Amino acid sequence: MSLHLLLQSLLRRKVVTGLLLVQLAMTLALLLNSIVLAGQTWQKLHEDTGLDLTNSLTVELKPTTPALRQYPALADLLERQMAAVRALPGVVAVAYSNQPPLQRGGTNGNLYDPDNQERSNINNVPVYQVSKDFFDVLQIKVLEGELPQAPLLKDGEDISPLVLTQSLAQKLFPNGSAVGRQTNAGTVAAVVDDFYGQRNGVNSNYNRIQVAPLYSVDWGYNLLVRTEPGQADAVQAQLAKVLQQVDSNIEILYLRSFNEEHNRLYRNEFGLAVLLGLLSVLMLLVTMVSSYSNAHFHALKRQQEIGIKRALGASKNMIFMELFCENWLNTVAGAMLGAVAALALNQGLSAVVSIPAISWWLPLLATLVLLICVSAATWYPARIATSVSPATATKTL
Amino acid sequence: MIQLKNLSKVFRTELIETHALRQIELQVSEGEFVALTGPSGSGKSTLLNVLGTLEHFDEGDYLLDGQSVRGLSDRQLSALRNEKIGFIFQGFNLIKDYSLLDNIELPLRYRGISASDRKRRALEALELVGLAARKDYHPSQLSGGQQQRVAIARAIAGQPRILLADEPTGNLDSLMARQVMELLEQINRQGCTILMVTHDPDQARRASRQVQIVDGQLSDAAMYDPLAAKLA
Amino acid sequence: MEQFFYYLKVSWVSIKRAPLPYALTVFILSLGLGVFFANATFYYQLNSDPLPHKSDKLFFPMMMLVPYECADCKPPSVLSYANVQKLKSSDIPTAEAAMYSSDGYLRLDSTALPTPVKVRLTEPDFFHMLEVPLLHGAIWPDSKNRQEIVLSKAMAEKMFGSTDVVGKQLLLDDRSFAVVAVLDDWQMLPRLYDANNGNHVNEVEDVYIPLETGYDLNYLSNTQSQTFDDADYRKLASDGRSKALHQLQYWVQLDTEAQQQAYQQFMANLAEDEKKAGRHPSPVNNQLPAMRNIVAYFGGESGDIKAFALVTLLFLVVCLFNASHLSLNRYLSNQYEFSLRRALGASRWQLQQQMLADVLLMTVFAISGALLIGFGGTALMNYLWPINALFARWDLTLMLFLLALTFAASYLVTLYPALRASFGALNQQLKE
Ligand SMILES: Nc1ncnc2c1ncn2[C@@H]1O[C@H](COP(=O)(O)OP(=O)(O)OP(=O)(O)O)[C@@H](O)[C@H]1O
Ligand SMILES: [Mg+2]
Repeated sequence: MSLHLLLQSLLRRKVVTGLLLVQLAMTLALLLNSIVLAGQTWQKLHEDTGLDLTNSLTVELKPTTPALRQYPALADLLERQMAAVRALPGVVAVAYSNQPPLQRGGTNGNLYDPDNQERSNINNVPVYQVSKDFFDVLQIKVLEGELPQAPLLKDGEDISPLVLTQSLAQKLFPNGSAVGRQTNAGTVAAVVDDFYGQRNGVNSNYNRIQVAPLYSVDWGYNLLVRTEPGQADAVQAQLAKVLQQVDSNIEILYLRSFNEEHNRLYRNEFGLAVLLGLLSVLMLLVTMVSSYSNAHFHALKRQQEIGIKRALGASKNMIFMELFCENWLNTVAGAMLGAVAALALNQGLSAVVSIPAISWWLPLLATLVLLICVSAATWYPARIATSVSPATATKTL
Repeated sequence: MIQLKNLSKVFRTELIETHALRQIELQVSEGEFVALTGPSGSGKSTLLNVLGTLEHFDEGDYLLDGQSVRGLSDRQLSALRNEKIGFIFQGFNLIKDYSLLDNIELPLRYRGISASDRKRRALEALELVGLAARKDYHPSQLSGGQQQRVAIARAIAGQPRILLADEPTGNLDSLMARQVMELLEQINRQGCTILMVTHDPDQARRASRQVQIVDGQLSDAAMYDPLAAKLA
Repeated sequence: MEQFFYYLKVSWVSIKRAPLPYALTVFILSLGLGVFFANATFYYQLNSDPLPHKSDKLFFPMMMLVPYECADCKPPSVLSYANVQKLKSSDIPTAEAAMYSSDGYLRLDSTALPTPVKVRLTEPDFFHMLEVPLLHGAIWPDSKNRQEIVLSKAMAEKMFGSTDVVGKQLLLDDRSFAVVAVLDDWQMLPRLYDANNGNHVNEVEDVYIPLETGYDLNYLSNTQSQTFDDADYRKLASDGRSKALHQLQYWVQLDTEAQQQAYQQFMANLAEDEKKAGRHPSPVNNQLPAMRNIVAYFGGESGDIKAFALVTLLFLVVCLFNASHLSLNRYLSNQYEFSLRRALGASRWQLQQQMLADVLLMTVFAISGALLIGFGGTALMNYLWPINALFARWDLTLMLFLLALTFAASYLVTLYPALRASFGALNQQLKE
């Protein structure tokens, strides 16, 4: 069918066509951005955290009486709790920590090389006080130096040496090994594998760990547990009871697998992606309904025109194709507008949420989806339109 | 070239059956100008539509150039219509959204003729009806007579062998009607077979043959048409 | 009235003649409105002003009173105790209160099970400034250290089973406190007095104790606290009071323009004095945002809600357009009847009334659909973004807004096609 004629008849219905184009454009824009956002979320949910998400658990708790929050009573409580958890079948290792990994924010501080404070300063590095099994629980390999086995105290002050994750060590001491170097927070004893600490930090792999007593449990503390493969659920189900049995003067604030923690990190993104995805589906549905009604309406309104064409020798298939071409033309034109609208929406969204740019093949994909939906919706009305009797349609009353 | 054998057509609605055509026997030879007359509702338009393959028939047979149209597929019928038959409707039936030129080119387009050829032939046809200057107008910008001339141009642009005209002058004043008639006669002289429905006895007399249809049947006058009798 | 029922009947009959297009119209309209409404609920509630007559008179002074040097830093969004004392040296504000929040465990006696509670450590003006309703008792006259506690109504009922419990004793983290006051029902949404880090979406606290008590008893802040020197977080009573340990919100009430200007001047002078004393190494950067703007100031507006708001608005527009298009098609197929009515002598006024009946019917259907979809939408959003759960509330204003919006949408959707159908060229339509 001739493009020129199609365009001409579209142009003569400017308002309706215009509105249809705008709608198609908006649908495509939304569809595209939803895909992009969903893709980003999916990527984040599948990023490498350096941790065994399925077989690790964390439980956050807090003693309910001030007496239990003080050392040495606290040290005793921690030992009893860890021993009880360790004795659970399926548990491989357990450690305490002031905070778990995989968080948005938490306790953190700045870290710098005192010889070079200005240039080496890194803000918001997560600070962990942990028991020596922490590295075993998280299965973090030592790359350099030696892990401290016990807290180091001097005049009652905690001066335990630091363990840094690899990317932090490299950032802080770009030239040469970090082991043995001094920082504002102490000496570096070892460098370990990267793992996901806090999302709000400079780099989620920056972590600073000390084998040390807990600084304060007024903010609560965590027991980190690694289980044998497949045992996480079973262990999780028993943890609360076991801990209550050890000492009932505690509140269990939450009990989660690392997987849950990781998902919670991207909860907002996930929510937005789900909602936008849902909305895209609804929008496609609306577009289909509108394509349907549009085609149906046209078939009715243009019965005469179709009848004339039939009389002049157009076969049913030609009319059918013509209606489809018109719809496809609309869709493709709408899609082109939509690509522009998508960029605009992308800009608008990026002002309020983080969203990656749209890659070139996505508009093509989205247009294809749109074309399929529109075609499906046009099918039935187009069939009806072609069965118009040319004799009746060309009759003048 | 046209041969109707015992052809019948019945319209069935829920309430009634209308026998629009009953046992029609009709032969039309190449180059004839046949005027079809008869009272309103007698089946003239129906006959024309059947001849133009726009409408199916129930009984009998219709041979076009010796070939039966029965059992042809929609595509074959459309091609047949497109190549051999031109239509002129009472209500012009131009497509509002297209320019005159596009309207005329439409049947040529369905035949798959190249753009330049199409344009040349459409312009020739427009020339013939004296409207070449307005080729880019839209139908709504023309008078009724002009629109009918465009419709004629469209019908003849594909150089059909048969022209079917259903009251082509029905909506026109007498001056216009005469012009259209003259145009049709000119086309007929160039060898095109014409079947025209008309209520105007003067026009009917100008045709080479008159066929009258009453209540779906060819009336006696037609049956005993000498020429028809001879051919039968 | 009878006439009106007649019109409704006519509408109903014409719906029944072509139920699918009508159902689709209503469906699309409900969809657009419902989705929009679900998001609008959060948007409206999150941006609502719990103290409309006062939120432009309460201010949060923030200054670069910190030991570090930074040319383009925002001043810290929490203040140190020492800095609050400096700000308190002014007598310009009508009222002023420093505050922070912490966690604790309440119990009636040492044998009872502990109830975890959120504690706000604050000063008497907190209750006056924010117009907190009091049910029983009286707030402390000042914020000096005293083992006296103020309970919310719900907490009093939970602990004692009744609200009139002034004078009774209970244990907060194993220390004995006397109940001096019980608040009436109070919920400040959003909780603007503590809006840092998006905390404004949380509930207000159930337990209040004097600020100095909090410092003396070492109640650590459970939200943001930071130090810019070697202060020990655990030594609130000493380091907390003297060093750069920042954890306080501080609100001042400045009723008049003059007061506000005077206070700005006071802050400017204070910065100058501190600079001279060498305690203000950074360039002066004094901020005095009003409570009304505090969420925006802290950048705590929910980006997701906003992004989704943008999108749902687009969706509504698309749905409106579609619904009107569908409805146009419906009207055009009924056009013959419409024209016939006109030809038979129905006046434009009568046709308009008929149209109004159509609109009303459409409104009823659309609002039922929109409410259903809106309800589902808020539930889904609550599930996906539980953090905003407190704001999924429908109040009268919102409902009226939805009603008006639905009516307007139905009107739009009906008006354009009806106009085309009823006022088009009469002859032509009858002919067609
Ligand atoms: N689609 C149809 N369905 C049912 N009956 C029809 C249909 N088309 C025509 N008829 C009936 O067939 C008969 C012939 O109609 P036709 O249109 O051929 O008449 P006509 O001779 O052209 O009349 P006029 O001079 O008024 O145009 C009429 O009685 C008409 O009612
Ligand atoms: Mg007729």
